[in-house]
Amino acid sequence: MKAFINNIAYDFITGETILDFVRRIENNKNAIPTMCQDNRLENFGSCRVCSVEVALQKDGPTKTMASCHTPVTKDLYIYHNTEKIKRLRKNIVELVLSDYPTDKVFPAEDKKATPFQETIAQIGIPNVRYPEGENHLELEPDRSHPYIKSDLSQCINCFRCVRACEEIQGEMILGMSGRGFATNIIKGFDETFDESACVSCGACVQTCPTEALTDKFETKTLIADKTVRTTCTYCGVGCQLDVSVIDGKIRGIQAPETAEVNEGHTCLKGRFAFQFYDHPDRLREPMIKKNGKFEEVSWDEAYDFIAHKLIDIKNRHGADSIGAISSSRATNEENYLMQKMIRAAIGTNNIDGCARVCHAPTAYGMQESFGTGAATNSIEDLKQTDAIFLFGANPLKAHPVTGAKIKQAFMKGVTSIVVDPIKTSLAELADFHLQIRPGTNVAILNMIAHYIIKENLVNQHFIDAYTEKYEEFKAHVENLDMDELETLTGVSKALVRKAAIAYAKSERAMEFHGLGVTEHFQGSKTVMLLSNLAMMTGNIGKHGVGLNPLRGQNNVQGAADMGVQPHQGAGYMDVNNPENQKYYAEKYGVEKMPEFEGLKIPEMLDAAIEGKLKALYIMGEDTIMTDPNTNHSIKAFENLELIVVQELFMTATTRMADVVLPASSYFEKNGTFTNGERRVQRVNKVIEPIGNTKPDGQMVIDVMSRLGYDQPTGLTYDAAKVIEEIADVIPFMKGLSWERLGENGLQWPIKEDGTDTKMLHIDGHFKKGIGTFHHFDFEESPEISSHGEKYPFILTTGRELEHYNSGTMTRRTDNQTILPKDVLEVHPRDAKEKGIKDNETVRIFSDRGSVHVPIKYSKNVKRGVLRTTFHQPEVFINLITGSVGDKETMTPEYKVVAVDFERI
Amino acid sequence: MANKNIRSLSSRKGLDDNLFENIAELSHKNAPKKDFQKLAKRFLVDDSVIVGTSSFYDFTREENRAKKIHVCSGTACMVAKTQTNLQKNIEKHFKKEEIGHAACVGHCHTNNAFMFDDKTFSAATNEELTEILSMRGQSGTPNNSYNIASNTTPVLTSKIEKVSNFYALSEKFKANPQQVIQELKTSNLRGRGGAGFPFWFKLDAVIKEPLNATGEETQKYIVCNADEGDPGAYSDMYLLEHQPHKVLFGMYMSGLSVGADTGVLYIRGEYPDSIRIVSNAIQELKDNKLIGNFKFKIIRGQGSYVCGEETALLNSIEGLRPEVRVRPPYPTQYGLYGKPTVLSNVETFANIHWILENGGAAYASLGTKLSTGTKLVSLDSFFNAPGIYEIEMGTPLATVFNEFGKGVKSDIKAFQLGGPLGGIIPMHKIEELSLDFESLKSNGFLLGHASVVSIPTDFPMIKFLEHLLEFTADESCGKCYPCRIGSFRGMELLQKAQNEDYKIDQHLFADLLETLEIGSLCALGGGVPLPIKNGLMYFKEELNQYFTSN
Repeated sequence: MKAFINNIAYDFITGETILDFVRRIENNKNAIPTMCQDNRLENFGSCRVCSVEVALQKDGPTKTMASCHTPVTKDLYIYHNTEKIKRLRKNIVELVLSDYPTDKVFPAEDKKATPFQETIAQIGIPNVRYPEGENHLELEPDRSHPYIKSDLSQCINCFRCVRACEEIQGEMILGMSGRGFATNIIKGFDETFDESACVSCGACVQTCPTEALTDKFETKTLIADKTVRTTCTYCGVGCQLDVSVIDGKIRGIQAPETAEVNEGHTCLKGRFAFQFYDHPDRLREPMIKKNGKFEEVSWDEAYDFIAHKLIDIKNRHGADSIGAISSSRATNEENYLMQKMIRAAIGTNNIDGCARVCHAPTAYGMQESFGTGAATNSIEDLKQTDAIFLFGANPLKAHPVTGAKIKQAFMKGVTSIVVDPIKTSLAELADFHLQIRPGTNVAILNMIAHYIIKENLVNQHFIDAYTEKYEEFKAHVENLDMDELETLTGVSKALVRKAAIAYAKSERAMEFHGLGVTEHFQGSKTVMLLSNLAMMTGNIGKHGVGLNPLRGQNNVQGAADMGVQPHQGAGYMDVNNPENQKYYAEKYGVEKMPEFEGLKIPEMLDAAIEGKLKALYIMGEDTIMTDPNTNHSIKAFENLELIVVQELFMTATTRMADVVLPASSYFEKNGTFTNGERRVQRVNKVIEPIGNTKPDGQMVIDVMSRLGYDQPTGLTYDAAKVIEEIADVIPFMKGLSWERLGENGLQWPIKEDGTDTKMLHIDGHFKKGIGTFHHFDFEESPEISSHGEKYPFILTTGRELEHYNSGTMTRRTDNQTILPKDVLEVHPRDAKEKGIKDNETVRIFSDRGSVHVPIKYSKNVKRGVLRTTFHQPEVFINLITGSVGDKETMTPEYKVVAVDFERI
Repeated sequence: MANKNIRSLSSRKGLDDNLFENIAELSHKNAPKKDFQKLAKRFLVDDSVIVGTSSFYDFTREENRAKKIHVCSGTACMVAKTQTNLQKNIEKHFKKEEIGHAACVGHCHTNNAFMFDDKTFSAATNEELTEILSMRGQSGTPNNSYNIASNTTPVLTSKIEKVSNFYALSEKFKANPQQVIQELKTSNLRGRGGAGFPFWFKLDAVIKEPLNATGEETQKYIVCNADEGDPGAYSDMYLLEHQPHKVLFGMYMSGLSVGADTGVLYIRGEYPDSIRIVSNAIQELKDNKLIGNFKFKIIRGQGSYVCGEETALLNSIEGLRPEVRVRPPYPTQYGLYGKPTVLSNVETFANIHWILENGGAAYASLGTKLSTGTKLVSLDSFFNAPGIYEIEMGTPLATVFNEFGKGVKSDIKAFQLGGPLGGIIPMHKIEELSLDFESLKSNGFLLGHASVVSIPTDFPMIKFLEHLLEFTADESCGKCYPCRIGSFRGMELLQKAQNEDYKIDQHLFADLLETLEIGSLCALGGGVPLPIKNGLMYFKEELNQYFTSN
C-alpha cells in the first residue's frame, strides 16, 4: 500500500507511524525533529514538534497531526516541512525556551550538544518574545545519589525519564506530580534519588534529552576521543556497552540502542561501576612471595619461577599433581588457552572452573535430558511467551536487564509462576509464588508434574514422538503422596495444583532457572525435572518456550564450551574416550592427551589435603572467599607447594599464593564472552593495559611456552587468531570468526557458513536424538539430616543488585556507597524470640564456624529461614557454609546451610 | 501507549478495590504518608504513582486536604459577580485556609454557589449561608430547582411511570443485539459530549473486537462520561438527578448489545447529589433484579476538568494520572484497563430507551437530517427563566432564548455556548443561528454541550478571555507542550496587558493561538482558541487597546 510524502508515492508498512515512514523513506533519522520520542519507548505525543500536515488528497485541505503516534493510512498525503509546520515547531520551541535556562540553549564549549540542543538547532532557535513569567529555573539540583544527578531547572517535561523508568526498567520511581504548568518530575514519594527506591539503572539519564538528568561522569555530553563497543563483564546477560575514552581513560558508558541483547539498556554495574579499572588497589606488577612477603619481580622472573616449579612438581609427582581453576570472567580465548595449557602442555585433565560452584548441574542435567547443556531458547523469546516459570532465580538482582524484561512481562499479565524460598519482588508480582522450604526443589517439581498428569494436561503427542522413559516417570510421580510433599515443601498443594495447571495450559511457557536450582544437594536432579516439565508439555523446540538457565557470570557458558571441565574438552567431548583424545592431540599438535578425566574443584581441594595435589594454577578466581567451608579451603591451600594466581586485585586467595600475576581487566584486552543464550560476543580492547599488567591469555601463552609448548597462533595473544583455532577444534563453532561476530555476536551452533542458531532442539529434534525423562525421589540434604537438629535455621545465600559476587570490582566503585554491607535477613518473629532488634549484629554459626553479621527484619523470608549475601569480606559467610554438594557434579549447596544465631 | 504496567497492575484489583478510590479516600482522610506507601505496596507500584495521582486533583492534592468549603469558581458565577460577596460571607465562618474552590457546581441558574458537607448550595446572603451551615450533617437533598420544559416530543424529559416497565423493553432486544445497533444507526444518534460522533459506530467497533488468545470473550466495558465539567452546563446533572434510569438503561442496553457486563459512571465530585441519586437508582435495579448480572459502578471524580476528555477519564478510573492518551488506539479497542470500551456522554445514553421504544426512524424524524433528535440546553441566571430545556435540533436559538429563557434580565453583549471551549456569540448573531451541530459550526461556533453563559455588557471581554485561558491553564493535564506552557503564557500575557503598561505582540498572540489550536494533543488546548478568536473578532474595539497595532 502506498502513501505520499510531499506528493511522491511510497510503499508503507502496515502499522507504521508517519514518523517511522518518513524517516525510513528519507533514510534520515532527523527528517522530522522530535523531543519526547525515543524508539525504545511507547509513543507519547507530548512535545508535538514532530507534527506534520496530512491530507486525504493531493494538496487538499490538511490537518495537523503528531507524526510519532499517527499511523500511515492508504493514500495519505504527508507534508512534513511546510511553512505552517516549521512555524509550529519554532513556536513550540519558543514556548519551551520561555522556561529553560538561557545559558543552556547552546552546548558549552567543551561539551557535546544534548539531543535537545540538537533539535532546537535543527528547528531554528527562536527569539523568545514572551515577557519573563513564572518559571522553574530556581529548582534546586538533587545531588543525593552517587551516580545520578537531577537538575530540574533544565527539565522540558518530555516524560522520557518517567517512561524509561517504567517501560525499560519496570520501575516507577520517577513520576510526575501536579498538573498543568506546575507539573514536575518526582522521585518516589517526592523525595531525593537517594531516599527513593531507585535501582540506579541510569535509563532515565540516557534518555533525558537535556542535562536535567545526568550521571556523575556527564557521559551524555562527553566529547570522547573514541567510543568502543564491548561486552559487559558483570553477568551472563551479555550487555553491549559503548565505552567512551578520553586521553586513554574511561570516562563514561552508554548502552547502544543497536544492541540486540540489551536494546539500549543496562544496569548500574554495566553503566556506572567501571571505576575499579584504574583503582589504586589494582595489581600492577608480578609478585613472588619471598620469606612470607610479596616482592615485585620482573615478568621473566615470575614466569621462570612458575615454569621451573611446575616442571619440578610434574617430574616429582606426575602431571596429575597439578591442577588449575580457570575463570568464567575471562574470555573464551583465554579459557581455551588455559585448558589447553593444562591438558596439552602439562598433561592432566585437572582443569575446572567456577561453573563448578554455580551452573555445572545445569550443563550436566540438560545434557542428560536433551543432549546440550545450554539454554534452549533466546531472551528475545520473552516477547512471544504466554507463561514464565521462574525457579530459584532473582534476575532483578543478578541479571538486571533480563530481570527487567521478565518484570515487564509479569506486570503486563503473562502467566507467572515463581518458585523461591524468598519473596523476591518478582515473586510478589507473580500469579503464583511457591515459597518452598530451601532444599525441597525435587519435591515441588514432583508435585507440579503430578498435577499436570492428573489434570491430563500433558502433550502426549510430543512425548510419544520425541521422548523416552516417560511412562516410568509418570508411574513414579502419579503414586507420590501429595500430603506428604505439601508438608515437606511448606507449600499448599492447592496452590501447587493451580500453578501446575496454569503452566501446562499456557500455549507457550518458558522456564528460567538460576542458582537456586543448581546449588543444592539435588541440583542436577532438579535440572532434569525442569527438563521433564518442558518435555511433558511440549514446551521445547519452538519460540517462547524452553529451559533457559540464567548464567551467573559473564562467560560461564563460554568457559564450559571451551573445555574448562575435568571430564570434557573443548566442545564437550568426553576426555575419557580414546577417539577424542586422538582428536585433541591432533588439533593441539601433541603426541598424546591425558587418558582419564581430572579432578573437580572440591576434589582438588581434598587431594591437596591428602597431599596428592601439589600445585594449583588459578586464573581470576577468589576460591578462598567464594568456595564453601573456607577453613577447609585454607587447609587445602596450606598444603600446596605452588599456588599461582592471575588477578586484578589482592584477594583472600592471592594472599595465600606463591606467585601473583597482575592481569588486565576486560577493558584492556580483546576476546569474546558467551552469554546465557549461547551468544558469542566480542570484547573489544578499550584502553591499554594498566601498569605492567597483561591479559590472562598472554600470561598463559607465556607460561605455556616456557613449559615447552608454543601456541601455534603466535606468542602474542591475538584473540582473532585464537578464535580461528577454536573454530577448528569445536565442531559446533565451525563458522566462528572475529569478523563474522560483528556487533551483536553469533549464537552457537554456528554453521560453517556463519549461520547461527537462536533455538535448539527445533520441533522436538533433540541433540541427543530423543529427549529422556528421569525420575527421582526427594531426598533431604545431608546438611539438614546431620545438622538440622542442632542448627534449626536454614541459611540461604544470594546476591544483591549492586555487587557482583565477591565484590572485588564493585566494592571498588561507588556501588559500595549505595550498598556498603551484607546483612542477614531474618523473619521479625524469629529475631524477636531471641530478643534481637532490627539492625543488631548477631553471631551466626554452623557446624563449620561462625561469623558476625548485622540483621535486617524481613518478611521476605519465612520463619526458620535466613538469607544473606557474600559480597563483603568483612562477613566472609563461607566460613560457615558446608561441604555438601550436588551428587552428580559436586556443586556446593550454598543454598541450604544448617545454622543458628544469637546475640553478641 | 504509555503506562501499560501501571494500568495492568491497577486492573488486577480492578473496580472493586479501585486504586483511584483508594487514593481519594486516603487523601480525604488526610492520611499519613505511610498509609499512601502501604497502598502503593499493596498495588505493587511505586510511591510516585500514588503521589502523581493524588497531586493532580483539586480534591486530593495535599494543599487542599484541609479545605472544608468550596466556593464555585465557574464562569456563570463569575459573570454574575456573586462570588466576592459569597466569599466574604464564608470568611465569617471559616478560616481562609479552610476555603477552597470548585470549578462549577451546576448552580448556574442561581449562582452564589458553593459546596459544603458533600452537598451543593446557593446562598445570596449571610443569613441564608448561616442557615445552610447550621444544617451540617443532616441528610436530605438541598433545594436545587430550575425550570424544565421541552419544545417537542420529550425524549429526555418525559417522566418514567414505572421503572420495571421501563426496563422490560430490554427483553425485546436481548436475543438480537444487532438490532440495537441497527436502530441506533437509523436514529443517527450522535454523541452529546460535544464531538458529535455517531454513537452506533462505537458499539459496532466494540462488538467486533476479537476474542482473546484462549478464544474466550474478552472483558468489555461501558463507560458513561458524567464528568460534566463545562462551567455553565448542568444538563447532565439534570439527567443524573431527574432521569437516572434513562442513563442507566442506555448503558445497560449498550452492555447487552456488545457483550459487556459492567458499566462505569464517572460522575464529577462537584455533583454529590447526582452520585447519591444514581447510586440509589442502581440499588433499586439490584433490589428488583431488573438488570440480570450486569454490574454498575460509580466512580467519583475528584476535581479535574480534563477528565471529561475520554482517555483522561479512563486513566482516571484506573488511578493513573489523567493525562490524555494518544489515539489510536481508540477506547473501543483499548479502553478501560486496556479493554474494549464503549464510552459516551450521559445524554447520549439517555436517548437510547426512546429510540428503542419508538424506533430509530422516529428519532431521525426529529431535528435536522444531520443533527437528529433533541438537545438539552442549560440557560444561566441572566435569563428570566433559567433552566433545562429539551429542544429539537434545528430550532432557532432565538426561540430557545426568548420563548423558553423568556429573554435576558440585563444588558448582555454575548453568549458563550457550549462551555469554555465553545464559541462566544455576539448578541447580534443569535438571530442567524439554530441549535444543531452544523449551523453553529459553519458560523464559527460550536454546539458543544449546549450550555449558555451570558456575558454582560459591562463585563470586560479581556477579563473573560483571561478567565478562559486561566481555566485552561488550571485544568491542563500538563502533558502536551502547547497546552501546558501555551495556555499559561497566554494567561500571563492577558494579565500583564491589564495590569501593566504592556501591549501584547499581536503576532505572538496569533502564533500562540495557532500553536494551541493545531498543536495540542486534545480538545482542551486545541479548543480554547475558538472562543478567544471569536472574542478578538467580534469585540475588536474593546480589545484593541491591549495589543500592538502591527
